[in-house]
Amino acid sequence: MAVDPKRWTRKVWQTLSSIKTGVVLLITAVVLSAAGTIVLQRPVTDADEMQRAYSPQVLRLLDAVGLTDVFHAWWFVALMLLVSLSIIAASIERFPNAWRYFSRPYKYPDQHFRRSLGIQKQIPIPDEETGLVAAERALHDLGFRPERVVQSDHFSLFAERNRLSEMAVYIVHASLLLIFFAGIVDALWGWRGFVALTRGQQSSVVDMRDGTKKSLPFAIRCDAAGQENYADGSPRKWWSQLAVVQNGQDLQAKQIVVNDPLVFQGIRFYQSSYGPTGKLDKLMIAAKSADGTGEKKDIALSVGDSASLDANTTVQLAEFFPDYVIEDGQVYNRTNSVENPAAHFVVTSKSGKPVNIWLPPLEGFAENLRSPYQLEVSDLRLGYFTGLEVSHEPGQWGVWAGVVLMGIGLAFVFYLAHTRIWALPLRDANGGLKIWVGATANRNREALEERFHDLTEKIEAELKSQKEAAASAEVASIA
Amino acid sequence: MARARVEQQQPATSGTTLIVMVGLGIAFLLFMAFLNVVKSGSLLSESNMLYAALIFYAGAGALYLGFGVTGTDAYLRFASLATWAGLAASSGAVAHRWYEAGHPPFASIYEMLLSFVWTLAVLTLIAEKKFGVKVIGTVTMPVAIVGVVLMQLLRTEVHPLVPALQSTWLHVHVTLAMLAYAACALSFALALMFLIQDNVQNETFLAATSLFGIGVYAGILTRFDNWGGLSVIAWNAPEKSEVFLQRGVRLFVVIPDLGWLMLLVLLVVAAPFVLYIAGRPRKDESLFTLANRAVFISILLQVVALLVFLLRARGGQYSSLDAGGLYATSLAASPFILSGLVSGIFSSLLYLLLLWRRPDLERLLPTAEALDRITYKTICIAFPLLTLMIAAGAYWANRTWGSYWSWDPKETWAAITWLVYAGYLHMRITRGWRGRRAAYFAILGFAVVMFTFFGVTYLLPGLHAYA
Repeated sequence: MAVDPKRWTRKVWQTLSSIKTGVVLLITAVVLSAAGTIVLQRPVTDADEMQRAYSPQVLRLLDAVGLTDVFHAWWFVALMLLVSLSIIAASIERFPNAWRYFSRPYKYPDQHFRRSLGIQKQIPIPDEETGLVAAERALHDLGFRPERVVQSDHFSLFAERNRLSEMAVYIVHASLLLIFFAGIVDALWGWRGFVALTRGQQSSVVDMRDGTKKSLPFAIRCDAAGQENYADGSPRKWWSQLAVVQNGQDLQAKQIVVNDPLVFQGIRFYQSSYGPTGKLDKLMIAAKSADGTGEKKDIALSVGDSASLDANTTVQLAEFFPDYVIEDGQVYNRTNSVENPAAHFVVTSKSGKPVNIWLPPLEGFAENLRSPYQLEVSDLRLGYFTGLEVSHEPGQWGVWAGVVLMGIGLAFVFYLAHTRIWALPLRDANGGLKIWVGATANRNREALEERFHDLTEKIEAELKSQKEAAASAEVASIA
Repeated sequence: MARARVEQQQPATSGTTLIVMVGLGIAFLLFMAFLNVVKSGSLLSESNMLYAALIFYAGAGALYLGFGVTGTDAYLRFASLATWAGLAASSGAVAHRWYEAGHPPFASIYEMLLSFVWTLAVLTLIAEKKFGVKVIGTVTMPVAIVGVVLMQLLRTEVHPLVPALQSTWLHVHVTLAMLAYAACALSFALALMFLIQDNVQNETFLAATSLFGIGVYAGILTRFDNWGGLSVIAWNAPEKSEVFLQRGVRLFVVIPDLGWLMLLVLLVVAAPFVLYIAGRPRKDESLFTLANRAVFISILLQVVALLVFLLRARGGQYSSLDAGGLYATSLAASPFILSGLVSGIFSSLLYLLLLWRRPDLERLLPTAEALDRITYKTICIAFPLLTLMIAAGAYWANRTWGSYWSWDPKETWAAITWLVYAGYLHMRITRGWRGRRAAYFAILGFAVVMFTFFGVTYLLPGLHAYA
């Protein structure tokens, strides 16, 4: 059997643009994304937790079909593309009809149309012109702008409102496509990472989500950072004073807080966390000679720093543990918060061998009593880091534009009805002259019925007042 | 159930009895509350206002139910009055909380419930006065009561906002979510009423009620643990907070034997559904009668399950599978289980109301066409609200975490909700789906909304851990 390519493409197009295909695609998308919320997803779950949650065989199977990373799997992206294609095809298929409707309004109702129209009424009039004028005035009163349509032997009236409402569905579909498109742009060219900085530090390297590193063409420097607390001690505000540095020049500076990032060349720096590095910034100590002579001396040391105590003696801060624990004859650090600190100093004299001083004096390690100087900690200043999320989303403006467009489109779809009203004079079966008035709207029929009722009442009132005016004029002329 | 049965036997002519009873009940409770107020010394505290709201909503619920059963107009008048009074008390509580916290009450699940109950009362009055859907209070008032009772269990002190939540966009997002979900709830209630007016058989409602119960108890039984126990979150009473094993990981304790009870209830609740499936092809009336009996037994058992759960969660120390030692728990630690149990009972009671008083209900409701139209209109309001809610959430996430969409479960399910309602609109507009199919679709939409709101928080992990 020969395959006719023309027929084949026609068939593909028909399938793609049909509502049925759209529904099947949407249901598939719903089922797959629901699966993605039930199965633990690799990008947001620790590897350990994945192994705890599933047996190795199940995990291998899930990985193989991509269910552990649904939203980045090729078949999910393909599905999204198919959905987009289906929306485009369906819109193109239906657009010409809607466009004809939109661009060439139906201004003169023929007999067939008049017979089938749901909302209509006939009102007796004395002559054609009076009736048309009355209808025109009534329409004006209701906020319409009627136009006169010229026929071979008479005029008729046409008025409409919110014709754009017929196009609104396409606005919504277009906005959805714009959002999809922007999302794809971000998925392909966007990235996310993390930078941790301590005060005064600068960096141009970002730790990416996938474990790689990315270098930026500029560096970001943290000049200051801090946390403010509520009375109960929970954090109220985190802030960082940041500066962008390029070729030794400060190009931009801003104090960022959570919800208010710094943006430079489309790259955004977000305040994401703040906390102790567990590293010491400075330890203040007071040193006094062990024999009680001499002055007390205040010294500030960082880890590795040395300071001289007198001409022959120096002290070095060798180690600092914010939260120490002794196991198997070794000193270890347990956490990074200052729960149980210990400091290790080495005092060296020219004459003797170095003496290890521990504060507090840990048994088995400390040789505090042999030291020529007694040390005392007066204060400690910890290092804090500020955690910055870094992201680049070139498509996000497309997303926001799409959202705004969709809002406008939905407002048109749901809250603006395309209303059309026709009026024309005619003779009924008994030869009486009438004005025929009819109306239609693409949604909210009840409101239209109410409005139509108002309209016909107004026309009748108008006709009556004209008749009275004519009658009184006649009376006046007789008198 | 007891009250419903009494009224089943007494004819509707004993008109004012219910009003007098409810009035006396309210007066008694107000008197007790007054004694409490005198003791505590402050009249306008939030808890007092909530207490008043609870009393009025309960009274309104009873009167709406009485109206539904007897059709006496006086009940409706007093029910509206009670709803107004409850709304005034709720408004006071909302205003008080707003003033004290300095931000609109959306930051914790307690504050969200506060706002939700307020919105629900407003919508009830609107539906009643503007659209003439008079019995809607029978559905919404019990929900409001559950909400207020849940609030009594949750931590109430003004909790400072963590930095990520300090954003106007959060308020916009949550307000829109509340409005959208309330509109979805309304469309659901209207669709149900449409089905009643559209002569859907009682048996079908029975099967649906049973299916809902199966869903609730199956959800609860996901916590079935350690041969017959039920895992609940441990509660630290002095701190008024859940016990955490480590950051973000809650400690579960196992209440022994409660799991078996829940399993038993599941079986009984499922019985009407099974009987329905079995009886449908043969149109076997005797099976349906049996199924209706099973509903009675299931209500009794559900009440027992609720009481046992209340008693065991309130007192006692339980062991945990993940840590040594004994821990206490509390109702406050399991709001979802509690609301599941309560709503299961309510749905069964509503079925009984339908079973006994269907002709009266049909007389009181607007016509099927009108209900169909109002359902559609409500969804036309809900859908743009859902759209804006998702957009505001995305914008907020982008300002806070640097990403407008991260496929976390709550986000994904919000998108699924949106798609379901988009499907409804397409089917209705392009395919002309009206009536029953549209009503089923609206009900499906609300089921997805409920899953997004409760199910995701209860069953799935995610970023939205704040609520």
